[in-house]
Amino acid sequence: MNIQPNTAYRDKYAIVGVGNSPLGKVPNMSALGLVEQACVNALDDAGLKAKDIDGLLVRGPDDIYTFHQVIGERLGINANFSTTTTNGGASQILSVIMAVMAIEAGLCTTVLCGYGRDSWSRTHRTEEARMRSATRSEEMDSSEFGPEYGLFGAPAMHGFGARRHMHLYGTTRDQFGAIAVAFREHALHNPEAMMKKPLTVDDYRAARMIVEPFGLLDCSLRSDGAGAMIVTTRERAKDLRRKPVLVKGFGTHNNLKGWFADDNMVNTAAGPSSARAYAMAGIGPGDIDCAQIYDCFTYMVLTQLEDYGFCKKGEGGPFVASGALKLGGGLPTNTSGGQLSEAHCEGVLQIVEGVRQLQGIYGADRQVKDAETCIVSGHGGNTVCHSTLILGTAT
Amino acid sequence: MSEYLKPLPRPSAESKPYWDAAREHRLVVQKCNTCGEFWFPPSQRCAHCLSDDHAWTAVKGTGKVFSFVTYQRLYHKGWDGEVPYVVAVIELDEGPRMLSAVVGIPPEKVACDMAVKVVFDDVTPDATLPKFTPV
Repeated sequence: MNIQPNTAYRDKYAIVGVGNSPLGKVPNMSALGLVEQACVNALDDAGLKAKDIDGLLVRGPDDIYTFHQVIGERLGINANFSTTTTNGGASQILSVIMAVMAIEAGLCTTVLCGYGRDSWSRTHRTEEARMRSATRSEEMDSSEFGPEYGLFGAPAMHGFGARRHMHLYGTTRDQFGAIAVAFREHALHNPEAMMKKPLTVDDYRAARMIVEPFGLLDCSLRSDGAGAMIVTTRERAKDLRRKPVLVKGFGTHNNLKGWFADDNMVNTAAGPSSARAYAMAGIGPGDIDCAQIYDCFTYMVLTQLEDYGFCKKGEGGPFVASGALKLGGGLPTNTSGGQLSEAHCEGVLQIVEGVRQLQGIYGADRQVKDAETCIVSGHGGNTVCHSTLILGTAT
Repeated sequence: MSEYLKPLPRPSAESKPYWDAAREHRLVVQKCNTCGEFWFPPSQRCAHCLSDDHAWTAVKGTGKVFSFVTYQRLYHKGWDGEVPYVVAVIELDEGPRMLSAVVGIPPEKVACDMAVKVVFDDVTPDATLPKFTPV
């Protein structure tokens, strides 16, 4: 069904503050505490108080029931509009989208969005947790058509896509490695990043294999951490302390027929999702100054860049190997180090980084020069769900 | 016989005929009597037209490797000593794709689009896993 994104939303809403918690190994904080801290930091960034917030869209580990209620209680917020978003790594951009739609509908005015997890602590806090993580997590197992064949963990599902892409287009592991290397370079300019050491393609090749075609350095980090954003109207943003970052466009798509259906593992939901976002924003890939792409695995960056139109389908390998993703390249991507080298918080930190790049707060080593637009992706819901956000500076 | 340490399938009401047939070394898939399409995984209605008129139908058991991964790290004690092993998405000639294993070939020889046929692995007296091997 042909749909027409509503261009009246373009540049009408803004992200007026962002924040993050400590990232990486934070054993003294729970997932709730991490989100609480990120939310408080976002409020400070915006110059707002908790009483100014009347919408709350947050998410945490899936085993904490009605996460938004617990966060609202901690922050002392009664919200006109609130829920826990649950669409995997596509949830965090979806929260921003839902915030815009709720404000447009007149249900609320100022929405706090956030996500956090304590994944490093959960897997390292005790000897038992370390053992469990060294083998597998049972709660994610399906009951059939998977575990009985030895299918465990996210690397395999994404690895199927990577392998198929390699088969169809001749994409190589070294090209995946170029992504890991570029993001590591960026992480070295980010004092909060978990990964502190330079990385070469030789290091990438030498890392132990996990689930081929993925080795250790194709996989994102296990992290504690949280991020948060505050969404309101551009009009209201005028009175606030930060230069507002405008929501230019957004889109979503969900290939709910599954990762194995059609050619979804190489032509992902990122394609239609981004097409809608571009249509709403009235711009195309050539107008994008930097990108923050959901990097659960290296391959997912490559295929999303194709799906987002930065190169043709099948040409992602040469594109990422060209150096385009590095600061100073044609499309600086994951300028914080991303989930591969900064910390993995299911995409929320990619929104935070996109906003900060457009706030222009960084020094020359990390700032994308003259950045006016940034595209952010969220991928997840176990591989088939996607959200896209296009941000821009106010002109 | 040594203890079987790998997870066993836990069939649902909808998938039980699939696993029952596998125990008899038959590969069956739901086929819609209304639109004629096959679908997998099992569900109550045709995934193409939502008709509830279907029959569990024997398929040829041949297809190709749509994609695959090779486990180089032990995720579960049941595979201790069996790493590396291959998990694959198999596309049956009749159309449906299913998760399975590729066996009878060194992992490094497996390739996308390789032709395969089903083999039945009686892993316990009560459970048989359809797996695939090169034609």
